Parts: sequence; C-alpha cells; structure tokens
Amino acid sequence: MMRFNSHGLKTVYLKDYRAWCLLLSLLAMAALFVFPTHKRNADIYNLTFVIDITRSMNAEDYRIAEQPVSRLEFVKLSLREFVRSLPCQSKVGLGVFTERRSTILFEPIEVCNGYPELDKSIAALDWRMAWAADSRIAGGLLDAMQLLEAKETALVFISDGQEAPPLNPRYRTDFSALNGKLKGLILGVGGLQPVPIPKFDPKGQRIGVYGPDDVPHRAYFGDSDLNPEKIEGYDARNAPFGKHAAVGDEHMSALRESYLQQLAAETGLNYQRLQNDRPLIDIGQSPALGSQQSIESDRRYYFALCALGFFLAIFLI
Amino acid sequence: MNNLAFETPWALMGLILLLVPIFRSNMRATTYPWLDILPNDPLSELLNLLIRLLSMAALAALFLGLSGIYLKEQHVERIGRGAHIVMLLDRSNSMDNSFAGKAPSGNDISKADAARQLLTEFVDHRPHDLIGIAEYSTSPLFVMPLTENKQAIHAAIDATSIPALAYTNISKGLSMALSFFEHQPVSGSRIILLVSDGAAVIDPDSEAALRVLFKQQQVRLYWLFLRTDNSPGIFAEPEDQRDDNAQAMPELYLHRFFSSLKIPYHAYEAENPDAMQKAIADIDRLEKLPLHYRQAIPKQDLSAAFYGWASFFMLLLVGVKMCEARTA
Repeated sequence: MMRFNSHGLKTVYLKDYRAWCLLLSLLAMAALFVFPTHKRNADIYNLTFVIDITRSMNAEDYRIAEQPVSRLEFVKLSLREFVRSLPCQSKVGLGVFTERRSTILFEPIEVCNGYPELDKSIAALDWRMAWAADSRIAGGLLDAMQLLEAKETALVFISDGQEAPPLNPRYRTDFSALNGKLKGLILGVGGLQPVPIPKFDPKGQRIGVYGPDDVPHRAYFGDSDLNPEKIEGYDARNAPFGKHAAVGDEHMSALRESYLQQLAAETGLNYQRLQNDRPLIDIGQSPALGSQQSIESDRRYYFALCALGFFLAIFLI
Repeated sequence: MNNLAFETPWALMGLILLLVPIFRSNMRATTYPWLDILPNDPLSELLNLLIRLLSMAALAALFLGLSGIYLKEQHVERIGRGAHIVMLLDRSNSMDNSFAGKAPSGNDISKADAARQLLTEFVDHRPHDLIGIAEYSTSPLFVMPLTENKQAIHAAIDATSIPALAYTNISKGLSMALSFFEHQPVSGSRIILLVSDGAAVIDPDSEAALRVLFKQQQVRLYWLFLRTDNSPGIFAEPEDQRDDNAQAMPELYLHRFFSSLKIPYHAYEAENPDAMQKAIADIDRLEKLPLHYRQAIPKQDLSAAFYGWASFFMLLLVGVKMCEARTA
C-alpha cells in the first residue's frame, strides 16, 4: 500500500543514509569543479647536458638485453628516458665535448613541447660529430662551465674520465675561478674493469680495437713530472722522460672514478655514476639541481574518489 | 576510438565495479511478510532497471574521468605557403671575426652574430616552414631535426653565440643537411640554406655522392656567402692561370660545383650585414610555394566532460530519490 505523506516523507528522507551519501557524492563532484587544481611545489629542472663524444665512449661495457652496448649508446638511451620522465616546464639543452672544448648545440628547451625534437637530437649524437680527437676532460669541463656560467642552467657533464693523451700532473686545469659558481653534476660512465676501445676506419667500418702501440701511455708534454735521478736515460733536453717508451694500458678504457671525483671537488659539482640498472640521474641524490617552483597540479581525482566512496556506500552498506 | 588515450589507464580496472548496481540494490528494503502476495508491477520493475542503469552510468563516467581520458594530439592537413628548410651553419673559427676579417671591436659585429640575428628574424617571418639545423666545422653536427617548434629553432640559433669550433669541412656538412630530408614527404620546396664564410675542397668521392644525393632529394640550394674584405669571392675569376685550382680558390670551385648540380641554386655574396639582409629577404620572397603542412591540434582533456556527466547522473539520482515513495 503506497501513500504519499509530505511530512512523513521528509523525516524518512532525512533519516535515510542513502540520501545523505548521494548528496555527499554530489557535493564532492561540485567541489571537484570548483577546486580542480591546487598549487604545489615541485622540482623543476633546467639542465644542459654536455656529453663526451671521444673515442673511449665507444667502449662497450654496458649491456642492454644481454647485448653489449657502447657507453655513448647507453648514455643516449638513458638520457632519452630521463627527458621523458621530467615534469613539464623543465628545460633541457644539449652540448658535446671533445678535444678540450665543449660546444652547445641548443640552449635548454621545454621538455613537454620539445620532446620530439629533444629525442631526435639526442638519438643523433654520434662520436663522428667530434671535430678533433684528443680527450682533455678537464679542459672540456672548464670550457663547458665558462659557457654556462652566466646562464640559468645547471650543467650535467657526462664522461668516462679518461684523459687522452694522459695528463702531465704538472699542468692541471685551474678551476678556482669557477668553483661553486655553477650548479651541476659530473656523471661518470663506464665500467671499473678496463675494456678495449673499438677502432673505426674513415668510412665508419669497425676495424678491431686500439692496441698498445696506437696510443701514448704517458704525457710527453712540457717538463717531466718525474724525479730525474729515477729516470733511466734521463737527459734534460733530449730525453726529459727517459729513454724508454712508457708502457701502460691507456689503450684500454675504464671509468676513472677517482679522477672525476677529484674534478667534482675542484669545481664544486656533484659526482654520480651511471650504472646499468639505475636511472640516469638519481634525482633524490642531487636535489640541488632542481629548483622549487609552484606548479598547478590536478587534484580532481581526490574529489572523484570521495564521490565514488559515498556513491558505492549506497549499495554496499 | 584510436584517438583516445588515458593518463592513468589502470583506473579503468574500477569499471568492474559496474557490476555492483546489478547485484546490490540501492533502494531501501522494506520487510514484507510474503513476497508472493505482491502483485506484478511492470512500472516499478522498469523504474528499478532505470535507476540501476543510471547508477552504472554515473560509476562509468566517474571511472573514465579518473582514468584521465583524453583525445590525442590530432593533425589536420592544411595548405599554406612555405618550405622545408635545413639551415647549414658554418661553425669554423673565422665566423667569429668581423666582415673586415678582424676580431670584432666597437660597433663591428662578427659574421656569426650577424648571421644569428638575421636567421632569427627569418625564422619568425615564416610561420609554416619546417626548419632544421645542422652545423659543420671539421665534422658535421646534427643540431635540430626538421620541426615546426619555433622555440626549439630559436634555442639552437641562440646557441651559436658561443665560440666557434675548428676548420671547414663542407662536404660532410652538406651530406648531413641532405640526410634531413630522408623519410620526409616531398611537399612544398626543399631548401638547404648554406651560411658560410669560406669554402673547402670537396674530394672526388664525396663530390660524386653529393651529386646523387642532391638529385634524389630534389633540394634547392641557397648559398649565403659572407665574404670577408680582400678575400676572393665566389664570382672572382682567377687573374693568374696558376691560381685556377680548387686549393687556391675553393669558393669559386665550390660555386662551380653547385652550378653544375643542375638543381635550382642561387648564391649570394654578402660583404656586410645589410647585403645579408637583402639576400635573406630575397629567399623569403622566392620560397613561397604552396606547401601541405600539418597543423597540430593539441590534446584535449575529456575527463572534465566525464566528471560532468557523472555529476549529471548523480543529480538525476538525487531527483529520483526525492520522488521515492515512502512505504508505511
């Protein structure tokens, strides 16, 4: 027997939890449209990557799916992945290092708008872009820091730390003028076990690896850093480094971690190592690279979940 | 449907909860002594079904909203006037000198600076072009793929303000610039804009390869030659027979090589920034062939619409609830 009773309807209606739940979910939906976003502080990055494209970066000591890949390939893959993971409004610029110079290919561009361009430019990096063949890492780092000093970007310098030809410890690059002026990171790449460096002919065909006779094993530049009395066949003018050719394993390449750490200390940059199973940059370890900026973030899901909870309660209680 | 995508697709798993309104009721249960005594009531059955469907619709809309559904970026084909342009920029040391061949001082600007300012203006003038940038010194540098992203192009042109690199190896630069057009549809004109202040000898092997590539890619070539005072230009004929070779006059020989390619080719010799401006304006005027270009329509968020629908269904349910009959 059904009967409408306006007074009774009202009391029952107010007592009915279903009506309350329905109203609450509607209210949550209203809140969703009124406050769709909220301001949140997030780390926004402005990074310029300067990547070592010297020959030792062709050494294959990373693995992807059990296939050996060169350091440069691995850096490129990690970098493309990293760019994808950056929050919008972050900016990424790209540069390369070889010889004793760094050059910037493009200034930082916004990652969300410029993702396709960034991705293609990173993919196109090649050791054959090197305009000269030495690998003076300290010089390249100093040059990169000078280029970026006046700009609002942090430097990420990616290298394996192998100076070629080897450095004469008497002549070290002086970073004192730039120490601490620039935020940034030195990212060491390569394994700790020395591996051979592939050799290519002028057409780009691989022709084996560098042998011990292909490279100098010590610095022959400037005054000798050795004690003359200890050098066999020393002659101040004609043989300042002794009469024997130095032997060594400069034709093999491993990550010179202690050298890069030393450079990091001298320049005031952080140091990190790029490992096979880790992301390119462990943001947690280098919070100083980003800057806190308030961004609008979507929080509609929060209200939608509230509405959902109330709505389902009608059925499930 | 292919154009739809989700920000958080896993939220779609919630759609399984659509089963809830089928198995559970959202109506107040009334105790009744004997159900069989109730008469058949098709209207109530229908209302019951409608209310359940409405609840399911509200839930579905809510989950689609939560999944962040959006319409992917679309492209519409339009026809405008423009070209596919690859700028091939000389980054050899001499570009950092002024047109007088000295380090810039006072009001002088370096050739690289002059080129940068003009190219920046040029890019702003050409809204529909796809522009790519390659650079060369001893080796070619791939800088920016063909793109309509003007900010990226500006970022790359701005970066040429840093000191230049090494020597001039033009053949590698040209082959890199030509490689930009691979896998690109032929539409409008394809242009290589070579900006350099010097030339170099091209070896016979590369010369043959370049001839083939230029023909294949159907490229038009503009050479903006920034001539330094007192240096032989591209049009200078040798005074002495002994100088008539590629080593002594690389500019002339490069010009002859380009002319012999049987492609549309135009060389501009600029001795100062004004002459450069004229050349750039000329190219701007000439290269206005109809071009099919794709205009991007940015991705559209649809979750707001679905939240709206969810609210609407809930509002209807509230309305229905208000009309609920009270049984004694």
